[in-house]
Amino acid sequence: MPSNAIYNGVAETAIQIEDLHKNFGQLRVLAGISTAIGRGEVVAIIGPSGSGKSTFLRCMNLLEIPSQGRVIIDGQDITRPGVDIMKVRQNIGMVFQHFHLFPHMTVLENIMYAPRKVKKLTQPAAQELAYSLLIRVGLQEKAGTYPSRLSGGQKQRVAIARALAMQPEIMLFDEPTSALDPEMVKEVLDVMQELAKSGITMAIVTHEMGFARKVADRILFLDGGQLAEDSPPEEFFGQPKSDRAKQFLEKML
Amino acid sequence: MNLDFSRILPNIPFIIQGIVDTLLFTALSTFFGFIWGTVLSLLKISGLPPLGWFANIYTSFFRGTPLLVQLSLIYYATPQLTGYNIQPLEAGVLTFSLNSGAYISETIRGGILAVDRGQTEAAKSLGVAYGPMMRDIVLPQAVKNILPALANESINLLKDSTLVSVIGVTDVLRRSQIVAAEKFVYFEPIIVAAVIYYVIVMGLTTGAYALERHLQRSS
Repeated sequence: MPSNAIYNGVAETAIQIEDLHKNFGQLRVLAGISTAIGRGEVVAIIGPSGSGKSTFLRCMNLLEIPSQGRVIIDGQDITRPGVDIMKVRQNIGMVFQHFHLFPHMTVLENIMYAPRKVKKLTQPAAQELAYSLLIRVGLQEKAGTYPSRLSGGQKQRVAIARALAMQPEIMLFDEPTSALDPEMVKEVLDVMQELAKSGITMAIVTHEMGFARKVADRILFLDGGQLAEDSPPEEFFGQPKSDRAKQFLEKML
Repeated sequence: MNLDFSRILPNIPFIIQGIVDTLLFTALSTFFGFIWGTVLSLLKISGLPPLGWFANIYTSFFRGTPLLVQLSLIYYATPQLTGYNIQPLEAGVLTFSLNSGAYISETIRGGILAVDRGQTEAAKSLGVAYGPMMRDIVLPQAVKNILPALANESINLLKDSTLVSVIGVTDVLRRSQIVAAEKFVYFEPIIVAAVIYYVIVMGLTTGAYALERHLQRSS
């Protein structure tokens, strides 16, 4: 295992994927993907719809169980039986397309819940943490509000704060701006860009090409359940190697 | 019309006192029935075959046989099989909790399945274990969705509670029958009982409606 491999100058592997397959019944969604994401690296996963991007991302914290292949997080093979997946997930934050905030809890309670229940933080400690995260995403005045009163962009920023509250080393983003009205996309991307500078490892499934180009260290282009291209953004957007990527980019840009 | 309440007037407080037994009975059965129904519903969605089979067979038995038969079985069989001299109220609460649990388990199961799958995914992604996830995230949302059905169930329990008069619990109906037998007036005491039940049911309905509105507001 190349645990000290270097990806774009970033030492150490945070996520290693080996020959990942996923089938839903007869449907083959992932057909053997191998790659690695370095610690602190920001990777954008793009590709046409149905190419398996989301499934690929969801295999990284086992929200989908791979049919075959291995997912190795910080040197630990999490696809092996007997692994405490709850423990692994504490270190991998996830942000969803549709936010999935807990509707019966206030913004503050949403953020405090996992640190209290899972990390057993005291009430004051969890509250302090939650407020500092709300300040970070610019929503401190919404602490006592219920999610139904927030705009889409605000919901997503709260969802990011909620995921960060577990102080994960890895963050997964599953189309975080796809369900947002256009005028709210920027506020979420700004938070994510800020986050990218903080040195946290990020894997982002996105359709925001401009954002991917600007923020990502690397682009993974998926097509038909396979990794069709794996290159730095300037290379991918400048001179894509595969025809599929060329076609895709022509449609997108 | 030949109604004469004057003869039973002094006995009306005696009938009204039956409310204590009736309400106690309904409250206990609703409470234990809800807990037991929740457990059964979790067994049903557990995906573990033996547990799911047990819960389904259990539900089919309690929904497929009359409540009065179950009540008689438990009241008469318990002393015979276990030697424990079960009191009528205990037998009533036990039977009604077991029975109500079977019905409620289907309602709760539906309520749980109706909670957006994203909620459990969000909880899992935060590393929250199954127990707290169900207790803090899924069940509160499920119960909120099925609150009208749960209120209906407790109203049904209240009305079905008249069955315990058969095994001698001195609830409202039983007391009205006692008065009837004493005073040789059969119609009027039953009317008093009917009015009492109606008032309680209206109270419950209003309370459930207020609770529902309160929960809607909070999110």
